[in-house]
Amino acid sequence: MIGEERQAVWIVLPVAVALGLLVLLLATGDPASERNNTFQLQGEVAPLIEGPTIDGGWFDIDDQRGRWVIVNFFSTTCVPCIVEHPELVAFSDAHDVLGDATVVSVAFDDRAENVVEFFQDNGGSWPVLTENTGEIAVQYGVTGVPESYIVAPSGVIAGRFIGGLTAVALDDAIATLTGVDA
Amino acid sequence: MSNATFGAGAVAFGMACAVVGAIIVVLGLAGRRPRWFAEATTLVFGMLAASLAAFVVMERALITRDFTVAFVAEHGSSRTPALFNFATLWSALEGSILLWTLILCGYVVAVVVKFRRQGDDPMVGWAVLTLFIVSGFFFLLMLSVAAPFNTFDPQPLADGTPFDGPGPNPLLQNHILMAFHPPVLYLGYVGFTVPFAFAISALVTGRVGEGWLLATRRWTVMAWGLLSLGIVLGAWWSYETLGWGGYWAWDPVENASFLPWLTGTAFLHSVMVQERRGMLRVWNLSLVIATFSLTILGTFITRSGVLQSVHAFVESGIGPAILIFFGLIVVVSLGLIAWRGDELRSPGRIDSPISREGAFLANNVLFAAFAFVVLLGTVFPLIVEVVDGRTISVGNPYFDQMTMPIGFALLFLMAVAPVLPWRKASGTLLSERLIWPAWLGAAAMVVSLLIGARGWAPTLAFGLGGFAGGAALRQVVLATRRQGWRGLVGRTNGGMIVHVGVVLIAVAFAASNAYVRQGEFTLLPGETAEIAGHTLTYEGSTFREYSNRTEWRAAVSVDGGQAYEPGIAVYPFASQTIGIPSVRSTLFDDVALSVLSFPETEEDDVILRATIQPLVMWLWIGGLVMAFGTLLAVVPGKRRQPTAPTSARLPEPEYDPEPVGVDG
Amino acid sequence: MTRRAASWLLVMVVAVSALVVAAVDEGEPKTNADRAYSLAKDFACPVCQGQSIAESDVPIARTIRRNIRIWVDEGQSHAFIRDELVSIYGEDIDYSPSTEGISSLVWILPIVGFVAAAAGLTIVFRRWKAEAVSEATAADEAIVTAARRERHDD
Repeated sequence: MIGEERQAVWIVLPVAVALGLLVLLLATGDPASERNNTFQLQGEVAPLIEGPTIDGGWFDIDDQRGRWVIVNFFSTTCVPCIVEHPELVAFSDAHDVLGDATVVSVAFDDRAENVVEFFQDNGGSWPVLTENTGEIAVQYGVTGVPESYIVAPSGVIAGRFIGGLTAVALDDAIATLTGVDA
Repeated sequence: MSNATFGAGAVAFGMACAVVGAIIVVLGLAGRRPRWFAEATTLVFGMLAASLAAFVVMERALITRDFTVAFVAEHGSSRTPALFNFATLWSALEGSILLWTLILCGYVVAVVVKFRRQGDDPMVGWAVLTLFIVSGFFFLLMLSVAAPFNTFDPQPLADGTPFDGPGPNPLLQNHILMAFHPPVLYLGYVGFTVPFAFAISALVTGRVGEGWLLATRRWTVMAWGLLSLGIVLGAWWSYETLGWGGYWAWDPVENASFLPWLTGTAFLHSVMVQERRGMLRVWNLSLVIATFSLTILGTFITRSGVLQSVHAFVESGIGPAILIFFGLIVVVSLGLIAWRGDELRSPGRIDSPISREGAFLANNVLFAAFAFVVLLGTVFPLIVEVVDGRTISVGNPYFDQMTMPIGFALLFLMAVAPVLPWRKASGTLLSERLIWPAWLGAAAMVVSLLIGARGWAPTLAFGLGGFAGGAALRQVVLATRRQGWRGLVGRTNGGMIVHVGVVLIAVAFAASNAYVRQGEFTLLPGETAEIAGHTLTYEGSTFREYSNRTEWRAAVSVDGGQAYEPGIAVYPFASQTIGIPSVRSTLFDDVALSVLSFPETEEDDVILRATIQPLVMWLWIGGLVMAFGTLLAVVPGKRRQPTAPTSARLPEPEYDPEPVGVDG
Repeated sequence: MTRRAASWLLVMVVAVSALVVAAVDEGEPKTNADRAYSLAKDFACPVCQGQSIAESDVPIARTIRRNIRIWVDEGQSHAFIRDELVSIYGEDIDYSPSTEGISSLVWILPIVGFVAAAAGLTIVFRRWKAEAVSEATAADEAIVTAARRERHDD
């Protein structure tokens, strides 16, 4: 066998290298809490949203081609959603006039009666869906509420907001994206 | 003097003792200081006094809610119930390091006391030096990155009420096991420092024969027993607190505690070969060094935040320090082994693979493989992230599939190894000794089929479990027949009882994983749901307020019997809402209930989740059997003193005079 | 055949038959709910730390559980459900690392390691057997006699 007298060194060396690599690996790893959720759907065709709205109409996202659509997932019990609601109202009112963007709300893990009451109390005249919203949420990769997805006039998902948003932020995002997406 | 000042002073004093002690031992080993052992002993007691003082002061600060200590301001609270205030010490980083240091100092004191008669032996000297260095590291941590006695200025709140801390994480103040799991676990972890110190000493002095092993054998067994108990308590606590019937998720922190257990178990068995035949010395040194290194690595994983876990401490700056220490241990140990390694190799040879030695060698390989798989799976996401930039997960499916064959092989070895003789076995011998255990295994399989269990994997687990349990019981029965109650104590017999405990855990693990059922039900008050042969009736809800939380509980009666009350607790000061599961445990199965949604009014429905798992109680029973078996194993045998050679004569039976007054 | 050999034969027959029955017999057919639950255990909850979709309490986990159940009711395969979830939530939702690319290492390395260990053990045992000394030399016997005399003296 190779150098019986120094056999120990031959065994120790690869072990030392492996452990050294392990230490290096652990030293350079980023803290887990800094890892972001992967946003996979950028640039993909927006998953289908269709269903009855709370005011008795029917919403189909394909009908909205040619306009920006803000798909807003919310719940009446979530505080940031309540806080961002007036911002959505402002955004929706401004763009209803221009006709270039619309909001659609998808209730997540909430009762229909609560949603109806919420919109009666707080305003907002855009389509709101409460049926089969779980499937829609999963298709969009929602991880919590509030989350909003910006769908471009071409029908692809152009951006995502996690957490509360403001009308100004939405306008800025659309302006930036208009430069990118024709 | 304020608590913070006194505590900080105590820590500094402890550090000084460690440093001075190390210097004195070095001088003593170099021959320059004749009374070094006595002086080192004094300093060891000094370290213990320092860590004990720091511990007492911190506990006093926590219990009296002294918010001038930053640690208390961050983790204590006037609303936390008293018992949990005591346990708050180890609920966060700095306090846990304090607890570790205290336990370590306790062990070091025990070492210098136990070995005081061999004080001039360099073997003991190098071991004490190693212990001083390790203690010094932990005191250094408390003086730098994990300082528990930083001061704080508790300003009153905006509305004028006096300052009050947030209290520990709500998940750490709702179950009594919080008070037991960390201390027991640390007693196990830290206990392995002692055999490690002696292993380093053996390598340095070149005296790698049996001496150091025998001297520390009971320490190793006790540390191992405590570590096993600590892990089982942790699983039990998870199960009771986290609500979905899970007790083991191959989570990085759980794996971190399991890795040293694996190598420690291999070591415990492999030393028997070294004692009997002087072989496997390199294995034994490597295993004990690996065990200690893995406890340090585990501490790193738990506290550095590098790997995501529901059990991890909040991230802090302690990671680099621990990692550097781990690297140091690895470099020093590997260097020593490379230097002395070739002198270590024993002249003996294992003659036949079918022998006790062969079985223990196979045991070592299997446990090493087990540890490798667990370690690889735990750090693999990091590897992929560094090499490829992607984020992947490695979880249950991987670990279950990879460890299952190893588990089966270990169960088989557990059955066969205790009946294997040393050196060589014959087929006749084995067939004679193993026939009843084999029947027990087959009977277990048939019984499981009869009660309706299916699936080849759990059935194989039951069969091998019966086989292994039968072999262990056979040993105990034979020993008690020969020696009476002494057949239950001592290393071999105690070890067999521990094996029985392991078999119980293995069988319970297999059954509860294979046959778990879960269902979610929306129930109005009075409605009933059925799952897996049980009926659940939602009877109504109650709302209660406590000092630190408000609780909403649903009363659910299981199978028409007593009502269990799962619920949700809101801790306003920690801004956290946690679920409170409620579990009905019987020897046959467990019904774990948790509530997924808060009904808004009394008449509203509740969403209830029920998880039914068979045989879960046997996990805890098996753990207690293991702990009990460990205690039995450390009872000294009648045969001889541990440091006498194996071939020494047995002591003479004690002279037993006739009792006075007996007729005839 | 001796009684013991017969006993062993019988116990092996019983054990193997039991194993075969357990493997082959379906027992109670698995309901869709059970299948959905066991699938959910194999995927990580996207927001929680270290819990699976089956275990987690958060609303998104419950929603995904419901979706998995819908897919199972539709008769979709494990592979389909996995691909759907990964394409939406990313690869780290799958607790079972893929067998393609660098991830396959986590599956291959232990197997390679174990084969190497088994091979190593076999080689070592063969070598030891070849080197085995079968006779004691006169010098060895002298040492043993001296040691025994010494022991029995005290």
